[in-house]
Amino acid sequence: MRTITRVALAGLVLTATGCQFFASKDRDVVQKGYRGTAMEVNYVARNQEQAMAELAKKMPAILPPAGESPPGPLPWQNVQVLNDISVAEFNRTMIAMATWVAGGPGNCAYCHNLAAFASDTYPDGQAIYTKAVARRMIQMTRNINSEWTEHVGNTGVTCYTCHMGKPLPNGLWFYTDENQILRHYLDGAGARVVSRTITPSAANRSSVKQTEWTYALMITQSQALGVNCTFCHNSRQFASWEQAPPQRVTAYAGIQMLRDVNTNYLAPLAGTYHPSRLGPMGDAPKAQCVTCHNGVYKPLYGFQMAKHYPAVWGTHTDWTTPLPPPFTTPPAPVPMDTVATAVDSAAAAAAGTGVAAPAATVPPPPAGPPVRTP
Amino acid sequence: MAMLTFEKKYRVRGGTLIGGDLFDFWFGPFYVGFFGVTTIFFTALGTLLIIYGAAIGPTWNIWQINIAPPDLSYGLGLAPLREGGLWQMITFCAIGAFVSWALRQAEISRKLGMGMHIPWAYGMAVFAYVTLVVIRPVLLGAWGHGFPYGIFSHLDWVSNVGYQYLHFHYNPAHMIAITFFFTTTLALAMHGSLILSVTNPKKGEPVKTSEHENVFFRDFLGYSIGAIGIHRLGLFLALNAGLWSAICIVISGPFWTKGWPEWWGWWLNLPIWR
Repeated sequence: MRTITRVALAGLVLTATGCQFFASKDRDVVQKGYRGTAMEVNYVARNQEQAMAELAKKMPAILPPAGESPPGPLPWQNVQVLNDISVAEFNRTMIAMATWVAGGPGNCAYCHNLAAFASDTYPDGQAIYTKAVARRMIQMTRNINSEWTEHVGNTGVTCYTCHMGKPLPNGLWFYTDENQILRHYLDGAGARVVSRTITPSAANRSSVKQTEWTYALMITQSQALGVNCTFCHNSRQFASWEQAPPQRVTAYAGIQMLRDVNTNYLAPLAGTYHPSRLGPMGDAPKAQCVTCHNGVYKPLYGFQMAKHYPAVWGTHTDWTTPLPPPFTTPPAPVPMDTVATAVDSAAAAAAGTGVAAPAATVPPPPAGPPVRTP
Repeated sequence: MAMLTFEKKYRVRGGTLIGGDLFDFWFGPFYVGFFGVTTIFFTALGTLLIIYGAAIGPTWNIWQINIAPPDLSYGLGLAPLREGGLWQMITFCAIGAFVSWALRQAEISRKLGMGMHIPWAYGMAVFAYVTLVVIRPVLLGAWGHGFPYGIFSHLDWVSNVGYQYLHFHYNPAHMIAITFFFTTTLALAMHGSLILSVTNPKKGEPVKTSEHENVFFRDFLGYSIGAIGIHRLGLFLALNAGLWSAICIVISGPFWTKGWPEWWGWWLNLPIWR
């Protein structure tokens, strides 16, 4: 009996010490639903703070406000977008963009012919594709900030939100047989696999494989945002909007936004990029959630960078000169099953059955870079 | 009521842990004891509190009655009655009743002069419950991490906790627990069918002995664990099922906050094929 008491006492002391140790402020759980429903999001606070400190270190400082613009008529030469802001603000924005995208405020050469800033070609006459892409990206940024407030709120985005100081943002994707699930962010290839009936019926023909795709798609969102399933879903009925947290509405708007961005801005640039920027099937790099979110559910931890830069705001997204002109036939969206067929037929071709190679079933990429005149 | 064969041995004085002779009596066929009294007290109080909770709740639908724990914001403090305080009191009563029952089992075991196998075995189930509603909530810093008391609501809690970690079937301790649960049922099915067979022989044949049991399993599997062995194995499997259940939930949150599939990165990163 005495031994049992001793063991019990020792157990109590150990448990108490353990509680002190593990119940530290390290683990943070945020309640997202009614009490007791386990609608919660888990964090390790220490990792979060560390990541925020690292981001704060590398995030470029907000540039001082633009001064007075020189008097007189606007000196624009070949300024096809951003010609609705002051000269001083325009120059400030150019310096900011060099830092946001090209790695430093002095790196104008990433998009400009240093001998003739207004030119769209290098001295050797070759088109500066980065400049053409940048124009379209500015239109896209304004479109996001004005048309997609349901997703970006009043925080908005700047080039830095995705680029984070690098020419290529994180998580760009191309057509491959491994990431067909990401087609959901382009042409809305179906992700709905949940049955609406109690028993199996012909109404739902989703296969296990399609369900796996949806799960994989959801995991890309989960990882992109650093959240778990219960951030957006009540798992007692994943499909139900009534039982879901409001974050799911924001996320859904994000999917719609991605489709707009990918369909109308990124994919059509396939003919503009240098071929080395294109994917194995000749398609342009496209965005997904992680491209902006970078692992946190509010990009840049909610830091409001965009409000300091008037250039990224404004409803004027459709400047009279649509750029880059003209879009040679943008690659038509390939339905997911076509890609699957292409992959299968590639395997079949390898097996010597003589079925057409993938190139025959997938539309070829548009012809070479369009020629631009200043 | 006829006396059962072991009742002569059972109905002896002494062996109590608390209360001496005071509660050392029988109520009909039931031993009372100090812990019998506390069991009845906590069970009655807890059940009445659940009924009260149902009465102030929105429904009498048996499936939907729900006594939910407090919001996480209350941390490890006390919550108002209608906002989780009821859950806290019911949890206290439940643990009081379960522990009392285990200790009553201990007293009866002492009367019978047998080992403490039964209270320890039952104690493992109590331990799993305490892990869910006390140990893990304390480690995570809020009573709100306990599961709600309701038929549907506790299932919703289980589902959502699973999806907090993206895919709970990848939780290694959950895998082990499930394996033990299935193995327990397999062992019980094999043992139960064997005993039913030997004790219900064909008309005119005598009840079979343990030699027959051994011969059957030696023919069937090549090995017979034996009459005592199967009960030891059964205890081992059942206790481990409960133990690993407790482990699989207590590591989710206090020791691992990401998705469980990610935990298996160590496997993908083994130097042999990395």
